[in-house]
Amino acid sequence: MIELKEVRKRYRGRNVLNGLSFTAEKGSITCLIGMNGAGKSTIMKAIMGLVPIKEGQILIDGKPRGKWMYEKVSFVPDHLTMPLGMKMSEGLTFMADFYESWNAERAAELMRFFRLEPKEKIGNLSKGTAAKYNLVLGLALNSEYVLMDEPFSGIDLFSREMIADVFSSELIEERGVLLTTHEIDEVEYLIDKAVILQDGKAGLEFDCETMRSEQGKSIVDVMREVYSR
Amino acid sequence: MRNYLKLLHMEIHRFRSILFVLMGLTALVQICAIAFSTIGEINERNAYFQQTGKPAETFFAAMSFTRMVQNTQFWFAVPVGLSIAVLVIYAFLIWYRDWFGRSTFAFRLLALPSERRNVYFAKLTAILTFIFAMLGFQLLLMPICRAVFTMIAPADQIQPSFIADAIFANQAFKILLPRSFGEFFANYGLGIIALLILFASILLERSYRWLGIALGLAYAGLCAALMFFPPLALGAEYSVGYLYTEEIYAIQIAIDLLIAIVSVWLGLYLLKKKVSV
Repeated sequence: MIELKEVRKRYRGRNVLNGLSFTAEKGSITCLIGMNGAGKSTIMKAIMGLVPIKEGQILIDGKPRGKWMYEKVSFVPDHLTMPLGMKMSEGLTFMADFYESWNAERAAELMRFFRLEPKEKIGNLSKGTAAKYNLVLGLALNSEYVLMDEPFSGIDLFSREMIADVFSSELIEERGVLLTTHEIDEVEYLIDKAVILQDGKAGLEFDCETMRSEQGKSIVDVMREVYSR
Repeated sequence: MRNYLKLLHMEIHRFRSILFVLMGLTALVQICAIAFSTIGEINERNAYFQQTGKPAETFFAAMSFTRMVQNTQFWFAVPVGLSIAVLVIYAFLIWYRDWFGRSTFAFRLLALPSERRNVYFAKLTAILTFIFAMLGFQLLLMPICRAVFTMIAPADQIQPSFIADAIFANQAFKILLPRSFGEFFANYGLGIIALLILFASILLERSYRWLGIALGLAYAGLCAALMFFPPLALGAEYSVGYLYTEEIYAIQIAIDLLIAIVSVWLGLYLLKKKVSV
């Protein structure tokens, strides 16, 4: 389980995270929902240790973070994170070189699934292709958790469908996924749990299926309620 | 260690084309400078002989490689200066290129399942490798330049000279390739400390952004003051002072070592605990 306890973070003189607490469990897809600037990407980066937090605790399976966690938690950001001069195949070699949990077979399978050309330079990738390549880099690790920051942002419909297919495949099944997206209505059927961010805290944390069956509300309905308060 | 070497290999691989361009340019400019300078002097000698009927040796000094290097100081110094400028700029870029642009490789580097100090030391070693690679290449180029000179100049007019003398004939090489090991150690030691201070300042900026710029500048200024003020205050420029020159040097070396250690510690601490992407 990924667990955030009373996390505080200041950014540009503003309390972006103001005592945020929530959990993301293994085997379920948790979606972080918030307005622009709510701190969704900051949360992802904080979990990965890419930005320091001012106060609070972030635990992975009950343990404080360390270098070990990078084999256990993979991150799919919303932009490229490999040098533009590299070929896609070189990026995969880089990952294989550094990560023990790298699964080269799965990487090759994903490259085929997304119809990516290994010899193509990373610098030449379009936004949609870059998003698919980022998914390859994140999902080819035998990690237990995957963090995805806006995996559908700025991507054409056909590519979105391909990425959405990944969510319902065995590539995701066993893992815990923490995801941020603005395209909630399109992926609502995939999400197990939602965390609505408000004023740097978890304004509401709920199980989507229970919310649907017991109160008949979609995530967007709940969002409207929370943000119109 | 394995991860450090892999990262070092990657850093060198990323800069290799620029390094080869710098080496090519240095070779081209210096070889051409020697060739044109030698041809120019031969032409002058021939013209003198044709005008006066006297052998050139009566008016011109013997042609030596050392004198040719002395005559082409500017053209030897231009690629050296350019290489230094590129390496200084790259000492910044080696960090900033991973943070800015369409791809932020810093995300990947800082999320590697290895100690972050490997990233720091790989970047540091890469810069040092480039510096010493250029230096080694320059040393290798000198005999090549001498061979070019020997090929062009008439054998009976050549006065033999040592490459060490030729190196010393160029003002820029006096600093870059000093004759004594002590001077070499001092020059490059100071250069490495400056690089460590720069890395610490860059990481201060990457950790605290706008405030970090001020902190980085203040840290660099403080280090510079610590490095240059004590020897002057202790009277290093006077022949008769309270302390012997050796004692002042010992104090200076101790201060420099302390600055180097603090800079490395600060850089590693910031990279591990404070830096953000």
